[in-house]
Amino acid sequence: MLSKLLKYEIKATRRIFGPIYLALLIFAIVNRFTLNFSPEQWQMSAVLSMVVYISIMVGMFVMTLIVMIQRFYKNLLSAEGYLMLTLPIKSWKHIVSKLLVSMLWIIASSLVAMLSILIIALQKGDIAALIRESGPFFQQVYAYVGSWIYLWSIEAVIGFLLCIASGILIVYASIAVGHLFNNHRIFASFGAFVLLNTLSQILIVIVFVPLGNTCFPNFSFNPVDLMAMHCVIQGAIAYLMVITGLLAAAYFALTNYILTKRLNLE
Amino acid sequence: MSIILECNNLTKKFGNKAALSSLHLQLERGRIVGLLGPNGSGKTTLIKLANQLLTPTAGDILITGKKPGVETKKIVSYLPERTYLNDWMRVQQIIEFFSDFYVDFNKEKAYEMLRSLNINPDDRLKTMSKGTKEKVQLILVMSREAQLYLLDEPIGGVDPAARDYILKTILSNYNENATVLISTHLISDIENILDYVVFINQGQIVLTSSVDDIRKEKGKSVDALFREVFKC
Amino acid sequence: MPWELKSDRPIYTQLIEQIELLIFSGVYPPGAKLPSVRDLAQDAAVNPNTMQRALAKLEEDGLIITHRTSGRSVTEDASIIKKAKTELAQEQVSTFLEKMRLMGFEQKETVEIINGIVGGIKI
Repeated sequence: MLSKLLKYEIKATRRIFGPIYLALLIFAIVNRFTLNFSPEQWQMSAVLSMVVYISIMVGMFVMTLIVMIQRFYKNLLSAEGYLMLTLPIKSWKHIVSKLLVSMLWIIASSLVAMLSILIIALQKGDIAALIRESGPFFQQVYAYVGSWIYLWSIEAVIGFLLCIASGILIVYASIAVGHLFNNHRIFASFGAFVLLNTLSQILIVIVFVPLGNTCFPNFSFNPVDLMAMHCVIQGAIAYLMVITGLLAAAYFALTNYILTKRLNLE
Repeated sequence: MSIILECNNLTKKFGNKAALSSLHLQLERGRIVGLLGPNGSGKTTLIKLANQLLTPTAGDILITGKKPGVETKKIVSYLPERTYLNDWMRVQQIIEFFSDFYVDFNKEKAYEMLRSLNINPDDRLKTMSKGTKEKVQLILVMSREAQLYLLDEPIGGVDPAARDYILKTILSNYNENATVLISTHLISDIENILDYVVFINQGQIVLTSSVDDIRKEKGKSVDALFREVFKC
Repeated sequence: MPWELKSDRPIYTQLIEQIELLIFSGVYPPGAKLPSVRDLAQDAAVNPNTMQRALAKLEEDGLIITHRTSGRSVTEDASIIKKAKTELAQEQVSTFLEKMRLMGFEQKETVEIINGIVGGIKI
């Protein structure tokens, strides 16, 4: 069932991103050319195309955010909720499907943005140079930190994903809390967003930081001898991931609770 | 199990206001039942509770003995009062959607009904009149081979000819295993196809009776009795 | 087209009458197979359970027979049909006569009026 939800979720959203990604890449190509024009007569067009490019870039990320919010709100908490929430599927699967697809588009948008920058900035010998240098670079890193590099890379990816997920889930939770109110739902959602963020910060400062300090005493950062304290670093990173994970789980639980026990569609 | 829907002491409060108060009800399989009451009497609340779109404040509501959840949603086919489908979808896409998520959805039946109503499956909902949209929604609901059909005002926004078609469809869908609960104001139109009626007012059941018993004992139609009972 | 059903009398009694008429008028002659309950109900635009009750009563009265495997049919016994037909006629006439009496006519006058009309029709 979850895979079916994912299928429909992607179908419903891809129509928006395709054209935007295409436009961004096209204008990246355009800019690549206009930036290489020096004569004054082309300056106007260079500025113009840069402005358009940046607008599209900004627009793309804004759109990603809007789609994320709108899919959750419109599809689950407005009229379409009558369709979705009466399907024989547990609510948490609805949350997960929207979460995963939102993450997909955030990552995709980021990749497309990076690609567009490369298109503009990449010089002739760059790729060859990159390939040439990366070999020795990775060898050096490997020589220094050993096979830990794999673990750290995986952790970096997971940590990155957890952060994105947590960010999305706190938005979902805010929208869900807003739904509890009959009037001024948008204000309530914003208020909930601020409140949840504040609560999370307070929780981190009051509970997690002291907890961290007691678990990891004598934590001093010695950049020269990273390896010696890599166990401590490991612990710290894992600890941060756990905190992020716990918060994300809390937002998820709150959202799910509201969708199951406090639902009130109009 | 012959009782398909059961409400025990069912209460639903919104804040301090009770939409349903200690409601008791039992519906058997194989019946077509009318849920009749004035606006705000609790009809839609009751139906939403059966669909897990609301949770009870007290008491319970059971479908084939189970609380509303994934298992009951598989056998309950619900027609909400409002349009609830994405306007941009084509009818054919919605049919695929229903097919995907409901095992008991009968695609051929759906297409057949669309054909007989001259509705083009390639059309987007956006392009249809309100009446046609409502017909599409009804077709989707009736194309499921469910055990409990909950229809909230199925004939409200449609012309008399379409009403006849809808009632005919409900009748032809009848099977002794399934029950249809119709919540409506347009009583005289549907009276003949009902077995039983349930009058509800201010969150409480006021009367349950078979249509013929009402006619025999009160010498009037259900519609006439309703007007009497709920006189303003 | 749905059958003509009045709204203040029980549906099932009206169904019984309508089916009887269909039998008496020969639409369903003696021995004829009847459509299924579902089909009849759809035809009449009524609840199948109500139609079922009507058919059950007709069976009780002997006008209809249920065969275990092949559904329902009209009885082949013409005398039962004739009896029921006559009973219905007697009912109708009694009701009519009562109405005429309420209007102030004596039975003799009523019979004259009837003859007059029947005579008129014959032409």
